[in-house]
Amino acid sequence: MFESLFRVFFEYRPVIFQQGEFRLDPSSGAYVASIVAAAVLLVAIVTYRAAGGKGSPRERAALAALRILTIALVLLCLFRPVLVVKAAVPQQNFLAVLIDDSRSMQIPDWGGQPRGAFVKQQFGASDAGLMQALSDRFVLRTFRFSSAASRLASVSDLSFAGAQTRLGAALDGARQELAGLPLAGMVLVSDGADTTDASLNDALLGLKAAAVPVFTVGIGRDRLARDVQIDRVSTPRTALKGTSLVVDAVVTQTGYAGDTVSLDVEDAGRIVGSQAVKLPADGEPAAVRVRFMASDAGARRFRFRIAPRPGELVAENNARDALIEVADRREKILYFEGEPRFEMKFLRKAVADDPNLQVVTLQRTAENKYFRVGVDDAEQLLAGFPKTRDELFAYRGLILGSIEAGAFTGDQLRMIGEFVERRGGGLLMLGGPRAFAEGGYAETPVADALPVVLDRVSRAAESLSVAHLRVRPTRAGEAHGVTQIAATEAASAGRWKDLPILTSLNPIRAIKPGATVLLTGTDGRREQVVLAFQRYGRGKAIAFPVQDSWHWQMDASIDVDDPTHENLWRQLLRWVVDGVPGVVDVRSTTDRVEPGEPVTLVADVVDPTFVELNDARTVAHVTGPRGTEFDVPMQWTGDRNGEYRGTFTPADAGSYSAQVEAYRGGKTIGSGTTDVRAAPSDAEYFDATMHAARLQRIASETGGRFYTPDNVAGMAEDLQYTGRGVTTVEERELWHMPVVLILLLGLLSAEWFLRRRVGLA
Amino acid sequence: MKLVVRAAVLCAAVAAAGAVLYGQRFGGGSRRAPLDVQVQGNTPYDGRFVFVRLRYNSGFGGGFRRGGGGGPMWAHDYPDGEVHLSRILQEITLLRIRTDGSNILSLDDPELFNYPVAYMAEPGFWQPSASEAESFRKYLLKGGFAIFDDFRGPHWNNLQYQMRQVLPDAQWVELDGTAQIFHSFFEIDHPEDLAPPPIYGQAEAPSYWGIYENNDPKKRLLVVANVDQDISEYWEYSGTGFVPVDVTNEAYKFGVNYVIYGLTH
Repeated sequence: MFESLFRVFFEYRPVIFQQGEFRLDPSSGAYVASIVAAAVLLVAIVTYRAAGGKGSPRERAALAALRILTIALVLLCLFRPVLVVKAAVPQQNFLAVLIDDSRSMQIPDWGGQPRGAFVKQQFGASDAGLMQALSDRFVLRTFRFSSAASRLASVSDLSFAGAQTRLGAALDGARQELAGLPLAGMVLVSDGADTTDASLNDALLGLKAAAVPVFTVGIGRDRLARDVQIDRVSTPRTALKGTSLVVDAVVTQTGYAGDTVSLDVEDAGRIVGSQAVKLPADGEPAAVRVRFMASDAGARRFRFRIAPRPGELVAENNARDALIEVADRREKILYFEGEPRFEMKFLRKAVADDPNLQVVTLQRTAENKYFRVGVDDAEQLLAGFPKTRDELFAYRGLILGSIEAGAFTGDQLRMIGEFVERRGGGLLMLGGPRAFAEGGYAETPVADALPVVLDRVSRAAESLSVAHLRVRPTRAGEAHGVTQIAATEAASAGRWKDLPILTSLNPIRAIKPGATVLLTGTDGRREQVVLAFQRYGRGKAIAFPVQDSWHWQMDASIDVDDPTHENLWRQLLRWVVDGVPGVVDVRSTTDRVEPGEPVTLVADVVDPTFVELNDARTVAHVTGPRGTEFDVPMQWTGDRNGEYRGTFTPADAGSYSAQVEAYRGGKTIGSGTTDVRAAPSDAEYFDATMHAARLQRIASETGGRFYTPDNVAGMAEDLQYTGRGVTTVEERELWHMPVVLILLLGLLSAEWFLRRRVGLA
Repeated sequence: MKLVVRAAVLCAAVAAAGAVLYGQRFGGGSRRAPLDVQVQGNTPYDGRFVFVRLRYNSGFGGGFRRGGGGGPMWAHDYPDGEVHLSRILQEITLLRIRTDGSNILSLDDPELFNYPVAYMAEPGFWQPSASEAESFRKYLLKGGFAIFDDFRGPHWNNLQYQMRQVLPDAQWVELDGTAQIFHSFFEIDHPEDLAPPPIYGQAEAPSYWGIYENNDPKKRLLVVANVDQDISEYWEYSGTGFVPVDVTNEAYKFGVNYVIYGLTH
């Protein structure tokens, strides 16, 4: 609209004025005319000054000014103003046309038709609108692109099936391929979606260096009329079989505000979790917390899905996949209890039926007398608490009950600190007369790891005052998976209100910076910490300073079959060992790649004392989807101690399982597994609107222009004046622009009306 | 072995009260000698272990008390038995236990659920009501552990019958020296060697029975019954000369093992 109006007044397209250089090209007669004009002006001024009695001095001055402007405008036209522009010589320059061939071009938001239909319409035949306009002026080189750019013989070859869009790679590829040719510019026809994390900066820098302007054509709408999308799902990389997972998802929508939908979690097509979601206002995100059980072992692909709504434009962005390694192993936790008490009995009872937890218990029943239960053999812990790092670090979790710091040697206290910080284990300290500050832990390495601040005051057990605490989850606790003790968040909050009172001998009220409190307790007067945690080094430390959580199982108000106590302890202990690394900790840089795209495996290798090893022989044994097996050697990166990397390229679609084994001195140190899925991505359908800002940026930074289907008709003409390639200099006369005539008539008319008003006409 | 020696020494220590008491009870005296501790009534829960004696309605009137003291059947050996055992437990284990008293609770008292180990004397006279049986069932299934002691002869039949009201499917299993409960603290390889207190002149050899959770011997014991045995009698009269110290020590071992077992299993 603006451009049409502009051309009505100024005759030429705006690009002429942007690119052109203004000059005057007067003939010799123009100078004679200027002398005549000066004389005429002088006469006019004298005449108006002499017209005394007619009009005020200001009116006469205005009349003189109008006359001056009129004569000046005529004089300007006589001096022949021109715009000098460099115009591409027809058929002497190349033009790269890059057409988006990705799946998002199938989205039907171009007047109800797929975005690809515009491409077919404009480029589908040699006499098609834009194609003809461009080919009349340039030698065209047409490319298709999704994950990479490749030459396109015919637009009919476009399939719009690419699973990725890499704008930067496409621009870079085309520029390099046409390097050395007289390139007038590039035309990028796309919806602007870019599914990679790569920055466009490098590609734009290359284009700017080569002075190649990119003219972008954005197809699609910048807002889908009706769409629901799962923006993000945050899942853990690994989980223990049987763990109840609480996963956060973010949902956005347009056109369905206020509707209630169900966010389902599917494992191999079976719904394992569900959460109702009230859709927020258009464009606003809704945070959703959904719970489900990781009940089957292996590399599980969980699908988070909202059923497509009636009239929805893009159904593919209603689902997101997440790969979780569900481990079916028995995680070993060492529980050291310093006195006979019911907390140990009920804790063990709570997790006794959990096949994935082994609580090895060392309980001091009398001085120098220990009761061992859950040990693997008669020798385990026979000498008491582990005295070496490799013995302690064999456990993934450590629970310290009511056992005083004085029961450990200085090195054992340091070992416990390192167990969390270096080994990455989970430490849980329970309340009791011999725990926390009351147990003399202040200023020890264990205190450094704990999430709570310990007083230096040492109190005798007999003098400890008992706090009877009613326990409540904090805001963080309401959202955290470990403190979910009922089927739904609301039910969980209600259940917490009903649970019996517990007692504590450890009045902890201060936490460390970075720590999070999940449960608090109050005796009606003061509040204190009941459950807090923090990351410490590679691991985490948890404080649970109450001494009798067993009341949540035993109390008269609790039903025999009430699972609250069991669930809480199962969740708590699974959390303790969650994410604790093994001797060989393996991951891939991404959990999904396109078939044919390389994937990098990363392994952290340590010895039994968790010191990083740089001289281990590390090999990944990979099993492909068809059962094919091959080895991928992994090399120490040299950047980080103990980090090894290896790359392979999945040829087939499907799941690839990599078991990484590390050897040293001819012996196996350990192994770890990870899985990678080779499959097309649905990323194209997420944020599937037309990304005008990205296309505008590409155009503006390279000296091109951004178009939409509505104004793209003028692009071919604009491309002529980029100044790139083989050009010829053209002069565009300005004196006959309609705006000049309109201005001249306007000035004359104004003078005439003013003269009539003052009585000079 | 060291702990056994300490236990024996402690037995002698508590004899001061017991010797006088025995003389008064069995020598015809009607007044009890004061214990060297102040026995309080039930105490509010504070997280510490408290010996709990189960009170019940026997249905046989007030029962009797040896030595002319009278009183209900459930109160036999009270309070000396539990006070002495509590002191032994405090001395030789790291258990935080109240030694200034004990609790007496009925089977349907909600307070009982704060104390997952409980003791019942003379269960031959125990006749639980329906609500008591139901509450006791919950207590045991949720994690409670009960010790039946001080009964003999046909009273064993009553206990079995009444426990069927509590746990209809429960099966009693005789416990020998291999049972974990006899090794939870002290090693009692031959529990049958402990003779019943000599006051009854009973001919029956004592035996020890238990009910396992879900009748599975791999799981914990819910109850233990000292059939034809009266271990708390030994506790009550420890150090009095009523029975040799060595024998009393053995009886204490049973008590310590039972309590530690109830705390750990």
